[in-house]
Amino acid sequence: MSVENTRAEICQILIERQLPSGGWPALASSPQTALEATVYSMLALGPEHEDEYGRALRCVLDCQNPNGSWPSFIGDDPEGAWTTALVLIALAENFKDVRRRHKGFQWLLQSAGKESSWLWRWKFRTTDRQVRFDSRKFGWPWQPDTNSWVVPTAFAILALDHLPPSWAKEHSGFRLQRGTEMLLDRVCPGGGWNAGNGVVYGTALAPHPDDTAVALLALKNRADESVAVGRSLEWLMDSALRISAPWSLAWSALALAAYGRCLNRLLSSLAEQVRAIDIPDTATLAVVALALDSERSLRLLRVKL
Amino acid sequence: MTMTRRELLIAGAAVAAGVSVTTPFFRPRYRIHRRLRRSRVALLRLEDYSRPIDELLFHGLALFPIKVQAKTVLLKPNLVDYIPGNAINTDPRLVVAAAEAFRRLGARSVVAAEGPGHQRDTQLVLSESRYEQELRLHSIPFIDLNRDELFRVPMGASYTDLESLWLPRTVLGSSFIVSMPKVKAHHWSGVSLSMKNMFGVVPGNRYGWPKNILHWRGIHESILDVCATVPIHFVIADAVIAMEGNGPLNGRPRPLRTVVLADDPVAADATCARLMGFEPDRIPHLHEASHFLGNSSPDLIDQVGEVLRRPEVPFQVVPEFQHIRAI
Repeated sequence: MSVENTRAEICQILIERQLPSGGWPALASSPQTALEATVYSMLALGPEHEDEYGRALRCVLDCQNPNGSWPSFIGDDPEGAWTTALVLIALAENFKDVRRRHKGFQWLLQSAGKESSWLWRWKFRTTDRQVRFDSRKFGWPWQPDTNSWVVPTAFAILALDHLPPSWAKEHSGFRLQRGTEMLLDRVCPGGGWNAGNGVVYGTALAPHPDDTAVALLALKNRADESVAVGRSLEWLMDSALRISAPWSLAWSALALAAYGRCLNRLLSSLAEQVRAIDIPDTATLAVVALALDSERSLRLLRVKL
Repeated sequence: MTMTRRELLIAGAAVAAGVSVTTPFFRPRYRIHRRLRRSRVALLRLEDYSRPIDELLFHGLALFPIKVQAKTVLLKPNLVDYIPGNAINTDPRLVVAAAEAFRRLGARSVVAAEGPGHQRDTQLVLSESRYEQELRLHSIPFIDLNRDELFRVPMGASYTDLESLWLPRTVLGSSFIVSMPKVKAHHWSGVSLSMKNMFGVVPGNRYGWPKNILHWRGIHESILDVCATVPIHFVIADAVIAMEGNGPLNGRPRPLRTVVLADDPVAADATCARLMGFEPDRIPHLHEASHFLGNSSPDLIDQVGEVLRRPEVPFQVVPEFQHIRAI
């Protein structure tokens, strides 16, 4: 079966998994709308699936929190989550929703890792020094009142790259700069990223392919010539063909495609993996569909090629 | 000495204010009480994972008066990440043996479930650590707790200031939860045993990777709150090859050649701590849990199976936890 056919089959499964809410569940067995799975599914299907895309869009708009953020899932507490960045990426093509997007961006610009406050920065620099990182370089957390981590920071950077120029303020430039610095600071010593701890108690921690790929996507538009990016790209190139799970393989394929390094062998291996196992995780299916059509997907993510 | 009426009033007000301020600190922070009158722990000798584990575990479970007939059993292994050569995760062969044993004992269903705290790609951890193959071979369903349907549950204790926790349907719907930790030294909490293992029921989809909110609210406090909220009915701890030093990911393997079974998580963890050469009461969450979640005192633990021998050299730990070593 061709890569295109596999993608079409995945899109069909996604259509079948769409919930009455218009969103998608994290796991096939769940009736709960999860925002991460919903955004990837929306991006994978695209507006050409008019009915499904339209229902998804309404679902996403309906669950925006009063403070402008989005939750992790429908029914979640209203303080907001990292998924706000994902939704803002998905809404980029829908300029009719200017007010909601604007409010979302405002929330995203206010959201910051806890180490952005001088008190916690001081604590990390004086007493809490087992994890090696520069607390002056901060990004975005998974949820309020916690530290910055690689994945939410990378998606926030990608989302702010969707910020319409007329909305961009000095502050957004500052946040993008700090977020980029934070990613470069948290890189693992041998290249690549994990959740966000490169060294703990003097020991280098291993990178993860998915975290590495998402960080590379975010840095493509801003620091693609840095040493950290070069080393991480090499690490990902070297690891990708050995990856035994579709989520990590799909993100790796997308990132490598962004840097002009995608191998057809990688896509075939991905398509093969997806056909071989039943995948209950909706986000994985959707990301695989995105990876199998990387040019279009990277355009949606506004990663410059 | 005499007091004027005015002085008496001021003194009375001061005492009342003092009582009202200090009382909350002396009031127990737990709302549940699960401590058994006596607890039981069994130490089973297992030289390595290639030996027959099924029978060992089945006969080990027979040492306990547990009833799992018609119950939905959830096996919660410690599945964090995969680094070749590092003894990070509960060995999958132990999980398979546990599933087979509970099925033989009449459990209605047995599932394995985990929400890895460090690695987002659960499927990758499953396949690289041989879980995928072993679970499929023995038809044991696996639920990714990071992505399961969530429900809000009030906390069973208030050591953190979290009032509630979002928890996965699979955990809330299980009637017999078995914590299956890998016995490890841990750089943030001193040890990672059956109670710390329950961080894995906290969903990443809601709380992120890592579940950073638990670190910010205090690791020992969070362990107590999570374990007060989600009951552990039984413990099967993997100390065949344990980990010392910079755990949970980068420590060194340390063979103890033992599987620890217990009907009480505090008794299990206290026993594991002793096997590691630690003083359980010096581990804050273990000390506090012994007031309401189980027994840590050897006087209240009936020990069966192998004799508990403390190691001549305690497990290595990071500098912050040198004081827990029994030297």
